[in-house]
Amino acid sequence: MTVLSQPQTGTISWRALSTFLLPAAIIAALLLVMAFYAPNFFRFNNMMNILVQTSALGVMAVGMSFVMVGGGIDLSIPANMAFSAVMGAIAMRYAGVPGGVMVMLLVGTGVGLFNGAAVALLGMTPFVVTLATMTVLGGTTVWMTNSQSIADFPELFFEIVLARPLGIPVSVAVLVVVTAAASIIFAATTFGRSLYAAGLNARAARVARVNVEAVLLVTYAVSGLLAGVAAVLLTARLGSASANLGNDGVVLDIVSACVVGGISIYGGSGRPVGAVLGALFIIVISNSLNQLGVSFFINLVIKGIAIIAFICLDRISSGAQR
Amino acid sequence: MNSAKLVMRSISKRFGGIAALEQAGLEVRAGEAHALMGANGAGKSTMMNVLGGVVRPDHGQILIDGEVVSFASPTQAKQKGVSFVHQELNMLPSMTVAENVMIDAMPTRGGLVDRKAMRLRTAELLRRLDCTFSPDTLVETLSMGDRQMVEVARALVTDPGIVIFDEPTSSLSEREKRRLFDVVLGLKRDGVAVIYITHFLEEIFEVCDRVTVMRNGTTIETRDMHAITAGEVVTAMLGSVEAEERVRPAFISIEPPLLAASCLSRDGAIADVGFEVRPGEVVGLWGLLGSGRTEILRAIVGLDPLDAGELRWRSGDTLDIIRPDKLHRKVGFVTEDRRGEGLLLPLSVAKNISFGNLDKVKGAFGMIDAAKEKTFASGFVERLRIKLSSLSQPVRTLSGGNQQKVVFARWLGTRPKLFMLDEPTRGLDVSAKTEILRLTAELATEGAGVIFVSSELEEMMRVCDRYLVVHRGRIVANLYGDATKDDLMHAVSDGRVAA
Repeated sequence: MTVLSQPQTGTISWRALSTFLLPAAIIAALLLVMAFYAPNFFRFNNMMNILVQTSALGVMAVGMSFVMVGGGIDLSIPANMAFSAVMGAIAMRYAGVPGGVMVMLLVGTGVGLFNGAAVALLGMTPFVVTLATMTVLGGTTVWMTNSQSIADFPELFFEIVLARPLGIPVSVAVLVVVTAAASIIFAATTFGRSLYAAGLNARAARVARVNVEAVLLVTYAVSGLLAGVAAVLLTARLGSASANLGNDGVVLDIVSACVVGGISIYGGSGRPVGAVLGALFIIVISNSLNQLGVSFFINLVIKGIAIIAFICLDRISSGAQR
Repeated sequence: MNSAKLVMRSISKRFGGIAALEQAGLEVRAGEAHALMGANGAGKSTMMNVLGGVVRPDHGQILIDGEVVSFASPTQAKQKGVSFVHQELNMLPSMTVAENVMIDAMPTRGGLVDRKAMRLRTAELLRRLDCTFSPDTLVETLSMGDRQMVEVARALVTDPGIVIFDEPTSSLSEREKRRLFDVVLGLKRDGVAVIYITHFLEEIFEVCDRVTVMRNGTTIETRDMHAITAGEVVTAMLGSVEAEERVRPAFISIEPPLLAASCLSRDGAIADVGFEVRPGEVVGLWGLLGSGRTEILRAIVGLDPLDAGELRWRSGDTLDIIRPDKLHRKVGFVTEDRRGEGLLLPLSVAKNISFGNLDKVKGAFGMIDAAKEKTFASGFVERLRIKLSSLSQPVRTLSGGNQQKVVFARWLGTRPKLFMLDEPTRGLDVSAKTEILRLTAELATEGAGVIFVSSELEEMMRVCDRYLVVHRGRIVANLYGDATKDDLMHAVSDGRVAA
């Protein structure tokens, strides 16, 4: 019997490349360009603005990371977010700020549980189930609101969510807390280990006594809950809730954030902090291209290409691993 | 009719450092059905993959009709008249019979599929096979037996001179099996050379003329069917079982049973299985591949559903009824598929060992404590003498024997009273095998009950205190630890012929 200790140079460097080095290099190059062409980019306000913009997307990307590490995908996150926002906005008129916020969180979680039950308990395909949920929720939201925005919230709502204690926006703090909590869950709890196991190899997880169905159900519930959190943050920032919050571009942004952040679309690998860095990456690209005066549509093209490139890296590294 | 249609001579093939075939030879005559027998891993599949052009041999020669051939691809083999009837039904259920039969060679006319020619050719093949269904039937509406016929028809499209049947009856009913045998007889009459691979001994006595037995990558002997008995075939397949030292003397447990199973049944897999396991004994489930040994284990812990039956588990002085999924939480299960079901290959050794034992490595706030996790894992690494360079290396980079020890380590951590070990030594080298067998005996000596499954009789004989002989999903005999190799071989071959 030989002692095998071949260092996994190939796979590890690919993984590191796809999770950290490449996005970092692209951002560095972009920042360099910005320094020349759009110095306004580096103003404190714009930097804060970028972080605030990242917060909602980042929270949703963390939710997606739960689902994706478990081997699934949740396309309904933005639609769920818009739906929860509208439901909560309506509730806020009658039940006040705490009531409205609770409704957003509960509705989000409820939709997540529905997706989770369909995928984990009934064995339906995540892609199709969540695509259908997305359509149902999108339609319902438009129908309920008549395509109008719901505005005029109590001042208290803005005072709380848009506050900047010690100069740090609440939404950024929420993102930090959510990311930290998710990181701990992933790295140091039984649930986290079971989640990686279920995503890597559901059969092996079952033999090792993991209740794979329960784990998957929870991932969708968490992604729903975090869609609700994002609904709170976005509604406060925009001052209104509407069906348009969850437009088609958002789902692309979430998936890109996760893939760029090294969360494997094949399940079983990646960390929530990667998803957040991925979200930051997406926002920085959009924001800087915007400041450079690049058209919104070119922006979409670039994002799409970025996703394909990172999925390609993911394929190469997971192909080498399995 | 006695000319050699196919001659394979001194075929050798190595995969990495392991010899899959070593000087193997096979001669099949036109118009005969030739059985190719061998235990799991004997080299049958590799031999047939060489013939089918899937694997290129390192050495050796293949002659078809006296002409030397060499195949670079399955297509070339097909052109020379070699055709497979696969065990797995690779069908497209939503397409018609004709489409499935002609999938490799759709007749075309002006660039479009010529549906008429396709139907005519298929109808002709179906007539040859005595099938009454139409070429336009959707495959999903056919019975398993009819689907198998479609698979045969597909193999016959090219008018092959050599047809290989790989486990053709494993999913067929008795009546459907008869029909398949008729087809084999028909092919023989047409002068086709048939190579027939099966795990079911009695079948080869019904349809085959000669048998070639393989063991350890080489062909042991070729005999006429009427000049050999079932027992002799089994002996040739398993080899002279060397009377190796037992790792521990046979032991008779007098303690009350730990687990009692009765009347366990699952349609098509196991029937009316009942047995007991006592603390401190190693119970061997002995049967050939496909007999249902693995299925019994999987059903007990709820990985496969049970249609009927009852499981009882000791709690204090009584045996209480327990559900399979609850029992799963009490037993350590080493599955036969180490890489596919045992391990989380990309994760570290430490994480693989602690998985399932996470309650024991938690620190402040109920969080997993990485330092505790490593200490926990290193305890088992020392105890089982797992060779590694670091606890954080991915378990995938360990050798097979060490990977298997990691699987054991995980279950040892849960301190189960019952271990179920399904082919725990598969793919391991001799010294690693002995280590795993010693470990098995050690578990029993410490008071655990062990259910042990292996395809290798000599291994079972080194460790088992009792044998339950499994045949076609049933337990047909119960033998004690002093059973000889002949007793065990007869138990399994008698069961076969009698059934």
